[in-house]
Amino acid sequence: MIQFKKMVKKYLQIFRISFAQEFAYKVNFIMWRVRNVIQVLIAYYLWSTVFADPGTSVFGYDQAKILTYIFGIMLIRALVFSARSVDVPQEISEGSLTNYLVRPMNYFRYWFTRDASSKALNLTFSIAEFGILAAIFRPPLFFQSNASYLLAFFLSLIIANYLIFIIRFIVTSVTFWVPELAWGGQFLFMVVITEILSGSIFPLDIFPAAWQTLFYYTPFPYLIFFPLQVYLGKIPFPEVLGGISISLLWSLGLSYVLKVIWHKGLRVYDAVGR
Amino acid sequence: MNIKYILPVLAHNWTFVFFLIGKIIRFVFFGGFIFFLLKGTNTLAGYNLNQALFFYLTFFLIDTVSQFLFREVYRFRPYIISGSFDLILLKPMSPLFRVLMGGADIIDLLTIPPLIYLVFHYGSLLSPSVLHTAYYVLLVINGLLLATAFHIAVLAMGIITLEIDHTVMIYRDIQSLGRFPTDIYREPLRGILTYFVPIGMMITVPAKALMGLVNPGGIALAFLIGTVATVASLRFWNFALTKYTSASS
Repeated sequence: MIQFKKMVKKYLQIFRISFAQEFAYKVNFIMWRVRNVIQVLIAYYLWSTVFADPGTSVFGYDQAKILTYIFGIMLIRALVFSARSVDVPQEISEGSLTNYLVRPMNYFRYWFTRDASSKALNLTFSIAEFGILAAIFRPPLFFQSNASYLLAFFLSLIIANYLIFIIRFIVTSVTFWVPELAWGGQFLFMVVITEILSGSIFPLDIFPAAWQTLFYYTPFPYLIFFPLQVYLGKIPFPEVLGGISISLLWSLGLSYVLKVIWHKGLRVYDAVGR
Repeated sequence: MNIKYILPVLAHNWTFVFFLIGKIIRFVFFGGFIFFLLKGTNTLAGYNLNQALFFYLTFFLIDTVSQFLFREVYRFRPYIISGSFDLILLKPMSPLFRVLMGGADIIDLLTIPPLIYLVFHYGSLLSPSVLHTAYYVLLVINGLLLATAFHIAVLAMGIITLEIDHTVMIYRDIQSLGRFPTDIYREPLRGILTYFVPIGMMITVPAKALMGLVNPGGIALAFLIGTVATVASLRFWNFALTKYTSASS
């Protein structure tokens, strides 16, 4: 019990320090948030035009549901995609990973905690931005009142946060073998593929059914699209449970893959530059 | 030979391949998004599928060409914060040319020819007249002039504020508003995008000119804004140079 308390205290301290560090680069942070707002505005104006007639229904969305999806992206992106662990490839390629390996802490827990602090800060700001934009545009929004769906929504968000952490570290692990590929891998898998296939740029259900089936064979829709579909109540509840089960399986399977890759990576890691 | 020694040799090429694949995927998915969206809705702000795709292709053409030409802007910050910009200033060549066009992006060069083909293909589906085609070509050049002005302004701001990475990305985010015709945006955003941050003049007006939807006055205004923006950005650059402190050198 004492051991556990000590551990919690240690990671809480990391959370606090990491949270404070986010404010060290205020301009960077503000610019990052501005970029997020611009992206939401693009989507908002686009879909407002498509749904200019309030009676319009396209791809299974009415005006309130599509605008809820757009504003939902804003909040869920902040929660799921915000991460400090984007710096890990650089640590591996520069050899500074060594500094952490000799410390009395779990490297993954360390970064999970730092990611949590980034998520907390970004979520706080995105809630404020959501409030401001909602006050300006007064969009019709959909509020889910079914407790089962809400519970499933929060559960899918927890899984999404775990899943993105695992995916990011698997992509990062490439750096052990090819340090020069650190940014190339992040760009292709984390910036392009993850953002598009997660539904964080546009809802995936505008694509033909065959494409959607293909997307659902990957873990990416479970990061943003699936939680939002659950919130909007667009999926029958048995399918919601099925989706949660599949995302859990992805989490477990990819955790195992990460464990294997990471251990192999550490064996070839030669702390270049140290 | 041990794979450990082969991988670094391949790495550079793989990075190239990864970025190329990433750009192609993004292009295809956004194009697919517009295609399927318009299949479902038939029109977007009064434009049909081919017209909407043509707006998107014009955006992508101007974005890709400016990315190809001005990639060096993304590498400017280290010069400023380390003071090594001094070395560029000392050389007998235009420092603006060096930091603006000193490192073209070969990945974008590869994507430009198929993009031009697509612009030509979808443009021809809109049955433009020779005059409208000429307007389009001239206005795309004007759009590139505006993109140049934006990049010069970003460099100048970089000298003054030491911040460039996010500024250039915000420029790109704002530019991405041009993926769709600016007609979809409401006032005051539409006015801002037409006159103040003239993304409309850069992307929407050339595409509309090909469709015969812009009068000669609008075309003249686009050229006027392009010229004013270029002159203003050059003046801003010259002003920013006077604020360069050569810190850390």
